[in-house]
Amino acid sequence: MNTPLDHEPEDLRYAEYVLGVLDADARAAVEREMAADPHAADEVMRWQRYLLPLAEDITDSAPPDRVWSRIQGRIGQTQSLPRTTDIRERRGWWSNLFVWRSFAFGATAVAAACIIALVLFPRARVAQPAAPAIAYMASAITQTDGQVGWTATMDITHARMIVVPAKPQTLPTGRAPELWLIPAGQKPIAVGMIDSGAPTNIKLDKALLTRIGPDAALAVSVEPPSGSPTGQPTGPVIGKGSITGT
Amino acid sequence: MIARMTPESSDRALALARELQAVADGDRSAFATLYKRTSNKLFGVCMQMLGDRGEAEDALQEVYVSVWRSADTFDATRAAAMTWLITLARNQCIDRLRRHREVPLEDATATRLVDPDPEPPALTETSEERRRLERCLGVLADQQKDAVRAAFFSGATYNQLADHVGVPLATMKSWIRRSLIRLRACLERSETNP
Repeated sequence: MNTPLDHEPEDLRYAEYVLGVLDADARAAVEREMAADPHAADEVMRWQRYLLPLAEDITDSAPPDRVWSRIQGRIGQTQSLPRTTDIRERRGWWSNLFVWRSFAFGATAVAAACIIALVLFPRARVAQPAAPAIAYMASAITQTDGQVGWTATMDITHARMIVVPAKPQTLPTGRAPELWLIPAGQKPIAVGMIDSGAPTNIKLDKALLTRIGPDAALAVSVEPPSGSPTGQPTGPVIGKGSITGT
Repeated sequence: MIARMTPESSDRALALARELQAVADGDRSAFATLYKRTSNKLFGVCMQMLGDRGEAEDALQEVYVSVWRSADTFDATRAAAMTWLITLARNQCIDRLRRHREVPLEDATATRLVDPDPEPPALTETSEERRRLERCLGVLADQQKDAVRAAFFSGATYNQLADHVGVPLATMKSWIRRSLIRLRACLERSETNP
């Protein structure tokens, strides 16, 4: 007789999934099964181990630099899911949208007040045991029409920035605002795509952290939704703001 | 189940796994290093499956954005880092192929299927896993081996493969399923008795 095909085709769907021959519906069914059943997930991983060495036959191919620039633009706006270790912290004031919404109104005045509060207040309470030096900086990104488009607050200690829209100007369809850090006398560094309708949380990497300071400025340019294809601003700069704070 | 690694590749594999774990912690410089080390391979995979430079660039971008976002789901005790990354890339490409080209194979893909390149590399340059797979592929009839390779490298569905080769759907399914059953038996044996 032939190979016992008819007796166990159901066992093969994990192999077929990894090989890539299933249609969209059948793939989705296997993926649901993997999520629900550890045995299914194990079987898929086993077939990955069996079949993926075939990928060694594929010739490497260098992607153009613009792909990396776009990726950086995209991950700038990553609203990272809370990781188990800092869920409690993220539910604190930093994540309180009311704080940021009220911050967005009358941005400049409030920004100044907040800096004073944030910078001076911890210092006033020197008696607090071993409180780490908190370094916050802020910037009101003012547009060419004189209106504040966004406010950015940088929490240096925790390497993060929140960018809150105030009155951002409307952009043409298919265009999106991208935030840049411009260290004095240097080329702009992509910070990430920002939202015009909601606060954007951005993780700050070392390259950005070391360059944020009163000598640097923030700017917003108009770019394709996936970010500047070149890693440098390609569209008009619609807003700029100096950085204040300690 | 511990991911198997060959001695010659284990240093690189461990370095990649460490980088992925750092990426999970939000380390951007580890992410940049990971991209430098792996993007040529993953872009090769996307080019191979999509056959279109622009689409391969878009796919690669999506792959690394999801690496950044979901690196914390990578489990070094269950899979090798490169296997995890290539799987992300293949899934991204297959999803794109299903979305855009469910019905006929486009000419570019069809051409690649006729001669299911790439050629198997000189086996001295490959990993122990790749050599083991080649030995097991060697027990299949040429036609069946070609069907498995064509399926893997094109990401085409059973229907598309059958249409392309000009055999009934049932025949294509039977070739590939028989191949998978024989491969499983052979690979299981060699995993237990390497």
